[in-house]
Amino acid sequence: MSQTAHIRIVTPSDNDLKKTENSLKENDNGLQGSLSLTNITNLLQFLSMSSKKGVIELSRQGDNKKGRIWFAGEELLSAVSGTLAGIEGFADLLGWEQGSFQFMPDVPFEDKKNIGLKVQHAILEAATLLDHRANEQGAASHTPTEERSHLMDLTARDSSEVLNNLLEVPGVDAVVVVGRDGFVIESAGSSNRVNTEELGASLAHAINGIEEMGSELNVNVLQDMFIEYGRAVIMCRPVGDAIAAIITPDASKLGLIRHKTKKLLVELGESF
Amino acid sequence: MTVMRDTAVKALANVQVQSDENGLIPEYEVLVNLLPIKLLNAFSERIMAAAPPERKAEVEAGLVRAAYECGYHTGCGIITSDIFNDVVMPMVTEDEKDILRGAYAAFTAWGWAKSGIVQLKPGEKMIIRALDYYEADSGGEGLRGFMLRGLSQAFFDLAYAETYPDGMDTFVCHQTKGIEVGDPHGEFVVVKK
Repeated sequence: MSQTAHIRIVTPSDNDLKKTENSLKENDNGLQGSLSLTNITNLLQFLSMSSKKGVIELSRQGDNKKGRIWFAGEELLSAVSGTLAGIEGFADLLGWEQGSFQFMPDVPFEDKKNIGLKVQHAILEAATLLDHRANEQGAASHTPTEERSHLMDLTARDSSEVLNNLLEVPGVDAVVVVGRDGFVIESAGSSNRVNTEELGASLAHAINGIEEMGSELNVNVLQDMFIEYGRAVIMCRPVGDAIAAIITPDASKLGLIRHKTKKLLVELGESF
Repeated sequence: MTVMRDTAVKALANVQVQSDENGLIPEYEVLVNLLPIKLLNAFSERIMAAAPPERKAEVEAGLVRAAYECGYHTGCGIITSDIFNDVVMPMVTEDEKDILRGAYAAFTAWGWAKSGIVQLKPGEKMIIRALDYYEADSGGEGLRGFMLRGLSQAFFDLAYAETYPDGMDTFVCHQTKGIEVGDPHGEFVVVKK
């Protein structure tokens, strides 16, 4: 289970809402658009914040897989993706990048709820589920080692390439890799909100304290830490023997960032 | 708790650089001096330029060796000094690994190289990344980080080889990236010889 220092989901920024709004086409059958222009997280947040209710029907490009999300205002009622239902189905839908959607407003929901959570809560639950799955797959494909450094020679890509990929994830301003002693090993992107040099030292102190707490509480090793400030959100995750810190302007895309960065952070861990 | 770099750098950087009548500065239980980096780089480049092609590797090895000998003996003085004991040792919880973290904090504090540990496999391998070092702006051709190569090898020997002074030449350091050749940072890999 993830240890979380502080999680609070805030509303999407005006810019996000504008982009999502622009990507939608309204006609007599409701709203429709392409998943390449907006993602499901943004779409759902936009509609729920607008106090809409109804169903979003989705079709994935390629295999034409179908999905449905029922919601009423801020509550996510139900989700289905092919044969998967509930949070599992919703988590699957979050991974769709290409395809089309259609929102049909005010369609009455008459089935039994299989989620029944607030939209933000459901997004985080789905992202956590995806993380656990990725962890299980990772554990199955790696021989357990006591020392992380046993994997040193497996580095496939240069860490700077992986950092550049991380910057392409929507909402990521900057990524900083910090040693356990606070040494800023590498950084990419820029953030006018956070001084990356000072972040290194501060983060090392914070992580040490958090890890000591985890040890005292006997709740296994640190997996994630989210710190939300008024002008920036910092998501931290161990990568090998170092810590990666992802800086984003606000928490509206945290679920998406967490999901999209998962594999890249695992790959980054092979460099440190 | 591990060695906190900022704490160590702030404390270790607070040093008197007043030399004695011989121009030497008694600090950290050793004698150091304060000379322009350009002097070392000019010496290195001149001796490299003067060497015939078939002996350049030998001269390069000699420059690394000079840094190594200095690093090994001076390094032992540093990591057993009172100031290191007072500043760094209270933060050491991971034995040699933390001592090496402290050593690279010292390198940074004293202007040798803004550098730190990227990976460490105890007793086998260490990767160092340096954002500046003496030869980073060297005009010479190819990788030129002789000083940090020697120092990194020396400190890994001090940490993981036989007890001083019997552990010399157990490990070797190779430079794999260099600011002087256009890379964003210098990278140094220490492995068993």
